[in-house]
Amino acid sequence: MKNLAAPVRLAGLGSHPQTERSDALSFDWRVASIGLSVALAYYLGAKIGFALTLRPHPVSVLWPPNSILLAALLLTPVRVWWLILLAAFPAHLAAQLQGSVPPAMILCWFISNSCEALIGAGCVRYLIDRPVRFDRLGNVGIFIFFAALLAPFLSSFVDAAFVAINHWGGDSYWQVWRIRFSSNVLAALTLVPFIVTWSAEGIGWLSRIRSARFLEAALLLLAFLSVNTIVFYKLDPTADSALLYLPLPFLIWAAVRFGSRGASAAICTLTFLAIWSAGHRYGPFSTRSAEENALSIQMFLIVMSVPLLLLAGVIEERSKGATTLREREERISLAAESANLAFWSINFERRESWMSDKGRAIFNFRPDERLSRELFLPRVHPEDRNTVDEAIERARASSQTFESEYRLLRPDGDIRWLISRGRYVSRVSSMGELTASLAHELNQPLTAIASNAAAGRRFLAQGPPESKVFEELLADVAADARRAGDIIHGIHHFVRKGEGTRRPINLNEIVREVLRLLHSDLLGRGTAVETELAPSLPVVDADPVQLQQVLLNLLMNSLEAMQSTSAANRRIVISTTCEANTSVAVSVRDYGNGLPADDVDKVFSHFYSTKPNGMGMGLTIVRSIVEAHGGKLRAENVDEGARFSFSLPVIREPETREIA
Amino acid sequence: MSGAKKLVCVVDDDQSVRRALGRLFRSAGYAAEIFASAEDYLSREIFEGAICLVLDVRMPGLNGLGLQEALETRGACEQIVFITGHGDVSTATRAMKKGAVDFLTKPFNDRELIEAVKRALEHSEEQLRKRGERQEARGRVDRLTPREFEVLRFVVMGFLNKQIASELHTAEKTIKVHRGRVMQKLGVTSVPDLVRVSQRAGVAPPRNPA
Repeated sequence: MKNLAAPVRLAGLGSHPQTERSDALSFDWRVASIGLSVALAYYLGAKIGFALTLRPHPVSVLWPPNSILLAALLLTPVRVWWLILLAAFPAHLAAQLQGSVPPAMILCWFISNSCEALIGAGCVRYLIDRPVRFDRLGNVGIFIFFAALLAPFLSSFVDAAFVAINHWGGDSYWQVWRIRFSSNVLAALTLVPFIVTWSAEGIGWLSRIRSARFLEAALLLLAFLSVNTIVFYKLDPTADSALLYLPLPFLIWAAVRFGSRGASAAICTLTFLAIWSAGHRYGPFSTRSAEENALSIQMFLIVMSVPLLLLAGVIEERSKGATTLREREERISLAAESANLAFWSINFERRESWMSDKGRAIFNFRPDERLSRELFLPRVHPEDRNTVDEAIERARASSQTFESEYRLLRPDGDIRWLISRGRYVSRVSSMGELTASLAHELNQPLTAIASNAAAGRRFLAQGPPESKVFEELLADVAADARRAGDIIHGIHHFVRKGEGTRRPINLNEIVREVLRLLHSDLLGRGTAVETELAPSLPVVDADPVQLQQVLLNLLMNSLEAMQSTSAANRRIVISTTCEANTSVAVSVRDYGNGLPADDVDKVFSHFYSTKPNGMGMGLTIVRSIVEAHGGKLRAENVDEGARFSFSLPVIREPETREIA
Repeated sequence: MSGAKKLVCVVDDDQSVRRALGRLFRSAGYAAEIFASAEDYLSREIFEGAICLVLDVRMPGLNGLGLQEALETRGACEQIVFITGHGDVSTATRAMKKGAVDFLTKPFNDRELIEAVKRALEHSEEQLRKRGERQEARGRVDRLTPREFEVLRFVVMGFLNKQIASELHTAEKTIKVHRGRVMQKLGVTSVPDLVRVSQRAGVAPPRNPA
């Protein structure tokens, strides 16, 4: 089958552009042998189906012929499907004519069975590229939904209608539909994956398998069979039904270690053993009427097989992904090796580094050595060291690509010329000027901690210290460490900028937090900030990080508006107020130029478009954040300046939180 | 530490920094006081002794450099060590030109800081000692009568008794008596010592008669 071209999409039989080749192929002996084996399998399948009926009621728990037809269609190109159906027809006749079924009914059954196989195979082949494999979660899902559920679902209506038209049997339309649907679903789930996975690649792969794998497979098979024998033959029919799940660990073993091949084989084995034992009145499925038993076996097996097939798909997909990745890596490193290229990456923040083996060989680094500039620069020729260092620094400062040509000193005294090209990828580029301010804020507690520690050491050197002095000292150290932690937490939030979560918050806390972050920036700009915070504010439901950004932007905006204000008048007043216990407002008032006399909307867009400062998002975004919180943003001119304020609705419960 | 009065004053708006620094100086054996702002420090009564100011550059209100200027006109002998979170060269240069002892960037080494404070206190002591000597010398000079003071000025300029007598239109004998009194009042026995004390007291030489 290998040299049959693979038309992927479902096309009308015979109308596919590639049909000119099918004339030559249709008389090929391989095609003939496919037909013959389909006929044989179909006939045997029907025989097995008859054998797997629970007496006295002649209900077949599992009806294999349809699934054999489906598997055959999945394995062959669309243009030979007519041949498969043609080959199955005599087998169908041969199997059914042995009973006392009228010929019209036999013909109708063939039509509904073919319908089912064609719907299932058509959908799957339309959605999955050939060859159809069960090695991906997506593929398995498509197969389960379209071929194992949808096709039996639809074709069972046709089938039940045929039965009714022919007045065959005494069951009602829905009974027939239900019986056929469940037995075909089970057959599709258990047989098709088994046939497809085991016949798709022939038996060539068997010879490539290591003996350890064979041993494991044999062990699994033995254990699986023994457990199944105990569960389905030895166990008393009235035993605890939880024992039914004893085979599950072995099914998972099969799926995890042997992929879809192992899982499908294990499911098949389980299916046959379960039905066979019930047919011979052993085990847990032999206690009730044949019809009820059949249904519970079907439910049990369907529930077991669906997750198992999906699991096998996930596992194969993952191992295939890992293999692909490894192959790609090998290919790249082979290419790099032959071109004398080295790859590397260094994460300065997390102090992680990676360099390809070739690179380590070129630079003479040990395989596990952590890379750093300090380690790298001494290997560069002294005359080039400064140039290289500057190139790296420039790239780091501007987040751009750097390229540098330099000499490398080898331990044996050789000199090699290298060209290095790299890019500094910054994760915190949006932080802008705020970083310096935050670094300063962090400096304060660190200075205090270091000084306290030094003082402690000196006190100790002078003899046993007073415990009160030390208690205070250590309490201060702990408080400063917490303060440093809070600042880092704040930076983390700013850098992350991600989706925050809303929680009840006191706006006074937000004001204090932002002022702490901006503390040194405000001093640097010689601006005094006065706060008029309402002593007890009702809480609002908001994302604290987003609100900090809102306030930060309003403050930056005020600072910019006061650039031409004389130093003595440069001040900002932040106040929080509560309005009738229904909303809380924060206002930022500056003594700057005031707003243009246009309407407020223009002010917002004006600021947005003209001020691309490092961390500002502009007032438009400020407004959208406020409005997303159900609040309002206002801007107005006041004496000698402007006032921006936003109000947020108070949370319904009259709960107030103490200010920290 | 040697019994003489010494004080370290920390002025920093960050509470935990100033508390920690105060503690550090106390652990090094100095008396230390802490202030939250420049204004707070200025409202403290002037300390009579060697004093080192450890001063934060960036503060709300009067900043570090502003306080340095304000102190110049007060005439106390504070010596200043600046500390800052921003190692900014122009500020440091300005501070050092105006006589700061050191300019340290946070976070600093405690030994570095204490070393700087020690130097500042030594400068301050030196200044204090000179001022003391000057005051003491002035006190002695103040005990002279106007006539004796005039004689002293001529002696310091190197005039002989005869020349002084002719300048002051009096007898050489009278000048001799005055000169003996001056030596006695200033507690010196030789002309070089007399000159040294007069210099300390800042006695200006008389106008050149020529």
